Amino acid sequence: MGKLEGKVACITGGTRSIGRGMADAFLREGARVVVNGRSESKGKQCLAEMDAGDDAAFFAGDASKQADVEGFIDFTIERYGQLDICCLNSGGVVQTAPVAQMTDEEWNLEIDWNLNHVFWGMRRALQHMIPRTSGRIIVTSSVEGKLGKPGIPGYATTKHAVNGLVKAAAREVGTLGITVNSILPGLIETDIVRETGPASAQMMGLPSYEAMLDLFAQESAIKRLNTVEEVAAVAVLLASDVGRNMTGCMFPVDGGTMPY
Amino acid sequence: MGDLAGRVAVVTGGSRGIGRAIAEAYVDAGACVTITGTTQDKGDQAIGEIAKPDDTMFVRADAKVRADCERAIDETVDRFGKVDILVNNAGGASNHAPVADLTDEALDNALRWNLWSTFWSSRHVVKPMIERGWGRIINVSSLEGKVGKPGIAIYVTAKHAVNGLTKSMAQELGTTGVTVNSLCPGAIETDIMQAEGPGAAEAMGITYQQLLDHFAQESAIKRLNSVEEVAAVALLLASDAGSGITGSLISIDGGSSPY
Repeated sequence: MGKLEGKVACITGGTRSIGRGMADAFLREGARVVVNGRSESKGKQCLAEMDAGDDAAFFAGDASKQADVEGFIDFTIERYGQLDICCLNSGGVVQTAPVAQMTDEEWNLEIDWNLNHVFWGMRRALQHMIPRTSGRIIVTSSVEGKLGKPGIPGYATTKHAVNGLVKAAAREVGTLGITVNSILPGLIETDIVRETGPASAQMMGLPSYEAMLDLFAQESAIKRLNTVEEVAAVAVLLASDVGRNMTGCMFPVDGGTMPY
Repeated sequence: MGDLAGRVAVVTGGSRGIGRAIAEAYVDAGACVTITGTTQDKGDQAIGEIAKPDDTMFVRADAKVRADCERAIDETVDRFGKVDILVNNAGGASNHAPVADLTDEALDNALRWNLWSTFWSSRHVVKPMIERGWGRIINVSSLEGKVGKPGIAIYVTAKHAVNGLTKSMAQELGTTGVTVNSLCPGAIETDIMQAEGPGAAEAMGITYQQLLDHFAQESAIKRLNSVEEVAAVALLLASDAGSGITGSLISIDGGSSPY
């Protein structure tokens, strides 16, 4: 008997990497899962790899677009009749830069992708969860939700912001059987990091992408990057019944990087 | 096959309350577990209730006494061959008072019970963990390890100190395969709370029931916590999936802590 038997979960940015790790873990624990991503082909590949039949579905949509995020929540509820666990996981940067060189376009994209997406998804999910007095909201924040680094100001700003949103929402729905938490992973070498990392490393003033990975590893106590599975295990705990008393929590999975 | 098959754990103060719940979760996950406590009867009762006599052992040991802390670990190694997971759970404080009226003895007792016990046991257990390249030290701190409250300064001070030890040990051991974390539960009405809570309430100028209400009301969930919820986190940290989490102060407090 899985820890999430009978539950329905949705995960933005769920076809690969951290979101995919959560989806796989939730399926193993007996939940039905809807994953989201922009790419139809990655979605099809994800469903084929998960091989979960009717227990998994894909919704194509851009997490930086309000209609897509709300449509994803609605799709999940229509598909499986309920939404118990809403993981707002999608996020990243495209062409980051130090503040002095940051473009409005990139800044707005990061606000929409990392912060507004979480707000849009959380609002829609809570409107469904509050009458049911049951639910879990799990936001993938970051060590940059507590720390700042040069060259990624939008990322640090938006990840700090979602942590504020999580704390406030947790207080709003605390007595309604709904928990709202952030997971704060250290760097994990995901697809999005491989795609955008080289440009980010340059903007952080580092000689190479590898130097950026090494910087993150070295600032931790374990001197290595984290893994998707480590984050997924925490998501299962927060999603399970026994996670009912953890709310407003910034759960670190960062190998001892954060000072608090 | 449980997540902790083949692992050996020591849970101090494990006869009742949070420690007992952690011990049970570990046994269910396949570990052999030693629990310690000061009262033989309570320990025997716990071992009987857990009903896995081949996989569990009680060691009568006082967390405030260094030799007892070290002996509990030694006896575990004698019986089960090693210690993979140390849960420094024993703790509490007596003779609470506002700082202006605090006695030296009350502070010393709280430090021995919470901080020295954690230090003695951790120091004694850690070298073999490093040699084996795998270990877990889980310190049961408290919400009061992150925030202060009037009238219970000895407890707040001792639990903050435990969290400092957690962070430093985690940085020291980061590359060795040994993780060190604190759990910071909100108030739970355990035996120790029932024993010491009325005195703490008096030092805070309120009744025991008002104390419980105060803890519930400062949370987002407006109720106290339960031991099973703490045990679930202790299980995650002890498992292989917990290997990327160290130096963390994990709140299980229904949204009480501001950070």
